[in-house]
Amino acid sequence: MNARWLKFAWLNTLRNRRRSIVTAGIAALGTAAILLAGGFALFTYEGLAQISARTTGHLIVAKPEQFLRDEDTPLQNGLDEVATLRAGLLADPAVRHVLPRVEFSGLISNGDKSTVMIAAGIDPDAEFAVKGPFLTLRSGAVLASGERNQVMLGAGLARSLKAEPGSSLTLLVSTTQGALNAQDVSVKGVFSSGIAEVDSRLLYTDVETAQKLLVTQRISSFGVFLNRIEATDPARARIAAALPQLTVQTWLDQALFYKSVKELYNRIFGALGLIIGAIVIFVVANAMAMAIIERTREIGTLRALGTLPAQLIRSFALEGLLLGGAGAALGSLGALAISVALLVFPVEMPPPPGRSSGYPLQISIDPALYGATLGAILLLAMLAAALVARRSVAKPIVEALAHV
Amino acid sequence: MSSTAQVPPVLELRGVHKTYRLGLHVVPALQGVDLLVQPGEMLALTGPSGSGKSTLLNLAGLVDRPDAGEVLFRGRSLAGLSETQATYLRRDAIGFIFQSFNLVPVMTVADNVDYPLFLAGLPVAGRKQRIAEMLRAVGLTEHAKHRPDALSGGQRQRVAIARALVKRPTLVIADEPTASLDSQTADQVFELMRECGHAQRAAFLIASHDPRLVRRCDRIVTMLDGRIVADARERIAA
Repeated sequence: MNARWLKFAWLNTLRNRRRSIVTAGIAALGTAAILLAGGFALFTYEGLAQISARTTGHLIVAKPEQFLRDEDTPLQNGLDEVATLRAGLLADPAVRHVLPRVEFSGLISNGDKSTVMIAAGIDPDAEFAVKGPFLTLRSGAVLASGERNQVMLGAGLARSLKAEPGSSLTLLVSTTQGALNAQDVSVKGVFSSGIAEVDSRLLYTDVETAQKLLVTQRISSFGVFLNRIEATDPARARIAAALPQLTVQTWLDQALFYKSVKELYNRIFGALGLIIGAIVIFVVANAMAMAIIERTREIGTLRALGTLPAQLIRSFALEGLLLGGAGAALGSLGALAISVALLVFPVEMPPPPGRSSGYPLQISIDPALYGATLGAILLLAMLAAALVARRSVAKPIVEALAHV
Repeated sequence: MSSTAQVPPVLELRGVHKTYRLGLHVVPALQGVDLLVQPGEMLALTGPSGSGKSTLLNLAGLVDRPDAGEVLFRGRSLAGLSETQATYLRRDAIGFIFQSFNLVPVMTVADNVDYPLFLAGLPVAGRKQRIAEMLRAVGLTEHAKHRPDALSGGQRQRVAIARALVKRPTLVIADEPTASLDSQTADQVFELMRECGHAQRAAFLIASHDPRLVRRCDRIVTMLDGRIVADARERIAA
């Protein structure tokens, strides 16, 4: 591409500055809207992916039946030889931690009132060390390894039972043999997971207390935590090959909420992107159509002087490229500035439906998203200009020269 | 046998017909026109409005095609010429001067003059030299960096002449080149065309209503109702 054509296109964009500014401005708004919406979606995906992986572990190792059907009795499909299995998993170079998990349900009572609970037996020190502050502690303290017969209650469950740190409660469950068993426990802390439905049922205790209550040495599954989320698939393949009798699922297999949100957002923001793309096409096409009509006689002159139609189309496409490019560059800068500003001056979003806590509004600055958006806006602007120019340039020279 | 006898005419029209449609009406613009234009010849086309002058210029300038008859450029028939070939031929061999100058307003005077050379793909160094020579010839060296809107009508037409001649064309098509100018400026512009054209041995086909300009041409062809009704040189020769 000769610089002379680029200069010619640039000078032409300056002929009607107001129109060019409006066109580039709309392209800038479109670009910024796509980048902000896309960046918000990416931030949401990243956040949900991290939460999902942190909740279950990057990999979940259990017997195949554990993933396929409900148990008839607690831990019917649980894992045996827990220590050996754990040591084997920790031998994988990508594995950082292996957290046992005992899942069970039953009743919890304060003496006056009983209610349904969903419980998880965990290795408290490792769990809180690995997962970080995945729960919001409302009162009391978190569990500690070595402390027996202690529980942490979801805020809703604690409220239902009028329990607070130090309260005594009774857990009532079916054992692995089908008999009823009860255990008095003390409330160590009250937490919120951020999801009201979960908080009204969930209870944490340590693995040993859970096993004692269920009268078993089994656990439900292992949550395997890796060094990086990107190592998930290779690690899964290695562990699955090493433990063919077990099933290894990834966090994504169990992240139903993540997948639902991603599917929904992809559709919403995809449609938004299409609409914005169409607006950019129409605006650039309209601006170019007006410019071309105004320059019909000039087009005739240039054609008479020996300019090929393709050269003129290319020149108009360059004008579209410059308008779209200026808009895309401005829009990118604007989106970048807003994204950075949200990091410096955090804005808290209200809790989404079904959740009890808000979240910080942040926009991911993703080079691939910026590159793709800039490329798409440039291409659309160029194509719109070229398409509009094509018909006018093909007009007979005599007609173009006679245009008033 | 002189050497000029072997040089083919720049332009030859043989029995050329051209009609236009204006709504439901068919307007015969040219009706069997025959014309020979020799190298270096300055030919004035005159006649009332609607006589077919502009149509003839369009056919001669390869911006339009005849319905019947044949147009030959430097002895070669243009009948089978593709649009792209015609464009290249215009680019390389035909200059245009328009009544309204038709300069590109966003380009400087020098860039307007440079445009045909740029299109032809000439190297920058050679182009600069030719632009400088041409601007000197038309007396606009000092205005090289100016935009057309900063020039007077006469100056703009001089730029148009420079643009038409800078590529050293074989034929220059000029449609009412002095119609937008006052008489003094028109005289100057015509003299400029004659000097530059003769220097380059370019043939000029000039459509004009201006009798003072027409009289100073080498040959005067008068048209009426799409036909040539008089050819002054032929009449003189007769």
